[in-house]
Amino acid sequence: MADFLTAHAPTLTHWLVLTSALFAIGLYGMLTRRNAVGVLMSLELCLNAAAVNFVLFNRYLAPTAQGGAERLDGAVMTIFVIAVAAAEVVVGMAIFVAMYAERRTVDVTRLDALKD
Amino acid sequence: MLMLPELIIVATGFILLVLDLFLTEKQRDLLVPLALAGIAAALGALWLTPDHGVLLGGRFAMDPLAWWFKLTFLIAAFVTVMLTSGLLESAAPEPRKLHSPGEFLTILLFNLTGMLLLASTRDLITLYVALELATIPLFLLAAWRRDALGGEAGLKYMVIGALASALMLYGFGVLYGVTGTMRLDAMPALLHADRTTLYAAALIVAGVGFKLTLVPFHMWAPEVYQGAPPPVTAWLSVASKAAGLSVLMLVLFRVFRPFLHDVSFAIAVLATVTMTIGNLVAIVQRNILRFMAFSAISQAGYLLLGFLAGGSVGAAAMVFYLLVYAVTNLSVFAVIILHNQQTGSTELTDYRGLSQLNPLLALALMFGLFGLGGIPPLAGFVGKFLLFSVAAQAGYHWLVGVAAVNSTVSLYYYLRLVRQMYIEAPAEGAVPLKPGWMLSAGLAVTTAASMLLGVVPTVYESVRASAAAWLQSLGQ
Repeated sequence: MADFLTAHAPTLTHWLVLTSALFAIGLYGMLTRRNAVGVLMSLELCLNAAAVNFVLFNRYLAPTAQGGAERLDGAVMTIFVIAVAAAEVVVGMAIFVAMYAERRTVDVTRLDALKD
Repeated sequence: MLMLPELIIVATGFILLVLDLFLTEKQRDLLVPLALAGIAAALGALWLTPDHGVLLGGRFAMDPLAWWFKLTFLIAAFVTVMLTSGLLESAAPEPRKLHSPGEFLTILLFNLTGMLLLASTRDLITLYVALELATIPLFLLAAWRRDALGGEAGLKYMVIGALASALMLYGFGVLYGVTGTMRLDAMPALLHADRTTLYAAALIVAGVGFKLTLVPFHMWAPEVYQGAPPPVTAWLSVASKAAGLSVLMLVLFRVFRPFLHDVSFAIAVLATVTMTIGNLVAIVQRNILRFMAFSAISQAGYLLLGFLAGGSVGAAAMVFYLLVYAVTNLSVFAVIILHNQQTGSTELTDYRGLSQLNPLLALALMFGLFGLGGIPPLAGFVGKFLLFSVAAQAGYHWLVGVAAVNSTVSLYYYLRLVRQMYIEAPAEGAVPLKPGWMLSAGLAVTTAASMLLGVVPTVYESVRASAAAWLQSLGQ
């Protein structure tokens, strides 16, 4: 088993397929979810896919591109992405709660009050 | 010293937030002058800030064009606070009053900080964080009123804005993967003209297109402009757009500069679609805020023309037009904010007879609309002329034709509003609007600026000189 895993270690391409799939699933969820909280969860998938990208590129590419020196730019970026995503979700939930108090629904397909 | 304007704004924000805890409802009226003082101090600091210099290991840098962007942001914030004062004071009319003035101003100032930082960022991390700081507070401001419309505007803005930032972040990731560096200045040498570069550029432009309301990414604008409180809409249409432009200039001129010439046709198409759709849809709008949203979309289309020439001429034309657009749009919004504050209406037809009730306000609004439409002695004309000449120099004569036709179309719908004010009779029992002194001052200053900027050549000359110096600092 261990031999099999070492022989078939995932390469950068595999990981990139993973993050692309993650991003696509998130995007699909954002477009199809009716509950605003579900939209927010799908958004998290998109942001996390992008965040994982940074870790991957840092692991596979940055050390060689910088002449062998250890660089952590990508990993640092990921931490910032997580923090910003948290802020985004807090703001989103605050707005949803305020809207729920007013309308008793967070169904995004029923948001049609704004029109000419 | 280089970061002094940002630090002053952050400090003012925190002072307002803490002070807000200890004040009574009546005393909170002091917060607006305090915020204005902070922004004025930041403007003074910006005046003393050198326009070259680097901080934090090159992650924060001043350059001559960043200076102009910061000036635009600070002026826009100053005028926005002046225009908001009537809605923030304790005596404001109830359903339209903006509650919690301390928090409102604090969030506005933090938002401003994000925009100020944005103009100076030089690597992906600071760019991303500054961009989010320039975006996330806007969701809260848009949803400030806890009514059905405000909540809906905030939710739509938040979801679409977050999607745009996710797209952009993915683009940044690809860019980092291709170059292996976070520094924007090191990227052009490491990029190749291949599909991956194009992929990253497309994702980033899609993300910025949301902020700049470029056409396939503009769907949120009319809804949010209509649902948000009018002062927030004014701030959105000016500062958020300026922030979008500063990111787009950072990305296109600094990172993708070697390939800018190859994609100029795509930029021309994007500009054509943006201005045409913006102008055509504006014609049928009955709500003044939606009307201004489509007007703002078409203005973004004109702005894009500056990217057709890689040199300093395009950059100078864009920065100058942005400054002109900011003051002109704010002067229009001053009247819209006042009208909404005192009548509660956002319908175009409710402006009928304004010239008989408030001749000066109607005159100012007319000058503002003519400036946006680009009628000669006003600054809007000069700004458009410079942008169109950039497109002509780049060889896009058909695009100049399209833009000129679009300007004419835009005059049609701007004149619709002027017709309501000057030809229609006022409604039965309509009373004149009574502007507060702060709003009047804001309106007077922006109207004067929107006329003088076109006549006094000094401003454009300085922008032009800054753009030339900026191009040299790019080292190409």
